[in-house]
Amino acid sequence: MVKLNDLMLEGTQETILFLLSNEAIARGAVEAGVRVATTYPGTPSSEVGDTLSLIAKKFGMKFQFSVNEKVAIETAFAASISGLRSMVFMKHVGLNVASDPFMSIAYTGVRSGMVVMSADDPSMYSSQNEQDNRHYADLAHVPMIEPSNPQEAKDFLLQAFDLSEKYKLPVLFRTTTRVSHMRGLVKLGEIRKDLPEMGVFVKDVHEFVCLPSNSYTLKEKLMDKMHGLKGESDSSNMNRIEHHGNGKYGIITSGAAYNSVMDVITEYGLDADILKLGFTNPLPEKIIGGFITNHRDVIIVEELDPYLESKIRTIAQMHSIDARIYGKLDGYFSESHEFTPDTVAHSLSKIIGFAVQDAPKGKLDLPPRPPVLCPGCPHRAAYYAVKRAVKMMNKPDTIFASDIGCYSLGVYDPYEEADTMISMGSSIGMANGFAMSTNQKVIAFIGDSTFFHSGIPPLINAVHNKLNILVIVLDNGTTAMTGQQPNPGEKFNALGEESPSIAIEDIARSVGVKDVQVIDPYDLKESLKAITRALKEDSVSVIVSRRECAILRDRDMQKTGKILTYTVDQDKCGKCMNCVENFSCPAIFIENGEIRIDPNLCDGCGVCAEAYVCPFKAIEVRQ
Amino acid sequence: MKTFNMIIAGVGGQGVITAGTLISEAAIKAGLNVVMSEIHGLSQRGGSVSVEVRIGDVYGPISPRRRVDLIMGFEPIETFRVLQSVNTDARVLMNKEKLTPISVSMKDEEYPDIQKMISMVSSSSKIYEIDAVDLGRKAGSFRSANVVMIGAALSLGILPVNEKNITDALIDRFTGKLLDINIGAMKLGMMEVSETDEKVQVSP
Ligand code: SF4
Ligand code: SF4
Repeated sequence: MVKLNDLMLEGTQETILFLLSNEAIARGAVEAGVRVATTYPGTPSSEVGDTLSLIAKKFGMKFQFSVNEKVAIETAFAASISGLRSMVFMKHVGLNVASDPFMSIAYTGVRSGMVVMSADDPSMYSSQNEQDNRHYADLAHVPMIEPSNPQEAKDFLLQAFDLSEKYKLPVLFRTTTRVSHMRGLVKLGEIRKDLPEMGVFVKDVHEFVCLPSNSYTLKEKLMDKMHGLKGESDSSNMNRIEHHGNGKYGIITSGAAYNSVMDVITEYGLDADILKLGFTNPLPEKIIGGFITNHRDVIIVEELDPYLESKIRTIAQMHSIDARIYGKLDGYFSESHEFTPDTVAHSLSKIIGFAVQDAPKGKLDLPPRPPVLCPGCPHRAAYYAVKRAVKMMNKPDTIFASDIGCYSLGVYDPYEEADTMISMGSSIGMANGFAMSTNQKVIAFIGDSTFFHSGIPPLINAVHNKLNILVIVLDNGTTAMTGQQPNPGEKFNALGEESPSIAIEDIARSVGVKDVQVIDPYDLKESLKAITRALKEDSVSVIVSRRECAILRDRDMQKTGKILTYTVDQDKCGKCMNCVENFSCPAIFIENGEIRIDPNLCDGCGVCAEAYVCPFKAIEVRQ
Repeated sequence: MKTFNMIIAGVGGQGVITAGTLISEAAIKAGLNVVMSEIHGLSQRGGSVSVEVRIGDVYGPISPRRRVDLIMGFEPIETFRVLQSVNTDARVLMNKEKLTPISVSMKDEEYPDIQKMISMVSSSSKIYEIDAVDLGRKAGSFRSANVVMIGAALSLGILPVNEKNITDALIDRFTGKLLDINIGAMKLGMMEVSETDEKVQVSP
């Protein structure tokens, strides 16, 4: 079997592989000679890290899953100013967490090439918002590069490093879900082997200490660098013009939107020249000026905010170019969600005037299938127990402040145990506020990774301010939602090396939480006891609900070949329906009026067999 | 130049992404350009999942909804979810394995009637129903149901790849017993479909 990773390792210039853009970016980091790479896992950027954790070591690259994005960017920055090429990558909202250092890193500048990758998520396939991180390039005053496909993702990354080094600035490398998660053919390139493995930090207090007096001059230097970069953008091959037909219209586009535009042009044979932008801050002012002068009718196709459009309208105004510009500001394109060839064709047809037929709109009343907690997921058991405990204690107005992770799915029926979910760590942060402002009991649900990421400061805050909250840490020993990456609670790190495992209960005790309990959520009886006890407390309580993620357990079971499943004894089943109505494991379903368990889905956790779920003891191990 | 667009729809955990990758890799072996979309939703398993494979002169991974050549549905509800919003002449292969969404079982309800769903869509093409899980089990593992579906698609004739291309893609991915199971699954799938449509011609 030829493993992709081996191919990535051995691949020479001529090798062509079928890669996700994220995998191509990992390979690009290797080719660029990156020595330090950091991340906090977040979809749609996660596969960059998953790939690096397999190949980094062999190329002398140090790669880590950092505790959060702020630490990740600071780590990468220190590497860069010590003379090593470094890269940090994260999902769009991760850059919010890292934004504090990011702004100042632009001021100080970098030494060896440093690239900050942000993977945005238009249409919010796995995110809480669809903020357009291109604005960060303006906010920080840094160059920005946007690839459209896997080949560009790899090739542009190399150019990003060269630019960063030339101008001593971090470069923002922005992808979106449809780019990061697009798989296509990628021709590999040469791997740089001439760069040092170890860095040396040469001191200069005027350069790296952001005291107001230093920052005052650093800001001026930063603006000089950015002005110098304008010509660079105008001469870059990442910005190019493609001719189609007579070029009656001019279309300016970038990123994933470029692909949709091209698919529409090919399908309908449209008469339009394309200015494809890959280097989007600063914009190539001369190229754009020329393009809009030559076309007069110019259409700007970009996803989310009118980022390019506002700037292009400014360029037209500054150079007194008389052109009709179509975009979002005049209502032709939407400012929400990703574009598809269909939506782009629709908007273009209104401007250019050609006929598009819409696809049929589905009329079937199909049951929805949102993502659900896996069969055997320890979170289901924990939610089930908490719901019962709250009922037993007669606290129906209990507030559930939830957080980011698989357990966010607890918002759905029948658990309904997520009343708020805003950002990483916000469960405990908001619990502080609820405890101050209401007489309701408040439970904060937070996962282990999220706790390490940003749950500790608000826990300390609650202890310090003597608030009454119950924090339940759903500790499944991994960063599950993004694909089971390790976190500081585990016994190994990103490279698979052993590392000390940090116990959440130790952290809780050390910051002064008196009431700390550890439970196994599979044991409903003990869990109920612990939760009801904690609900009676009137200070900070922490329950660590510890049980391995079912996916990890499955992997182990498949290795050992011991696959246990459960079944329903129809003679004993009392048809109380509790297992489907209230526990709702996806392996349990109803057929011909009988409760059944799908053996292909059942994970053998055995929780449904406990008397708290099945009072008739009808669920047993399948023989 | 004709392009080939297919949508593979199913439920997380059914091997939807692997199926898409195998067909893509086979197309590469046939010397064609391919792009594929992978959307990883919130949780690992249990939600609707779909993958698009586009072969030929294409740029982005999203198929225009009136240009779909083949829908490979790994689960009936998910098949209809896609089928109802694309061109009515798209070819359809559907695995009969019913996976009840918890939104249904939670309300003490049963899986919707498939024949009724079929009668309600305005598809002009025949829906080939395949018992891929059972055939997969016959081949050695229910997990090879996705390759049974690929085999059926091969026999349908419209894929711009041939049996050898798929076999080579399987050889790249599996070894030993697993390879045998998957090749067997492909062959069992091929026997399921006899009426052959015209191959979509995609030039390299
Ligand atoms: S991946 Fe793990 S944590 Fe997430 S839903 Fe599945 S079992 Fe639960
Ligand atoms: S044992 Fe019961 S609860 Fe656990 S996975 Fe199987 S059916 Fe679901």
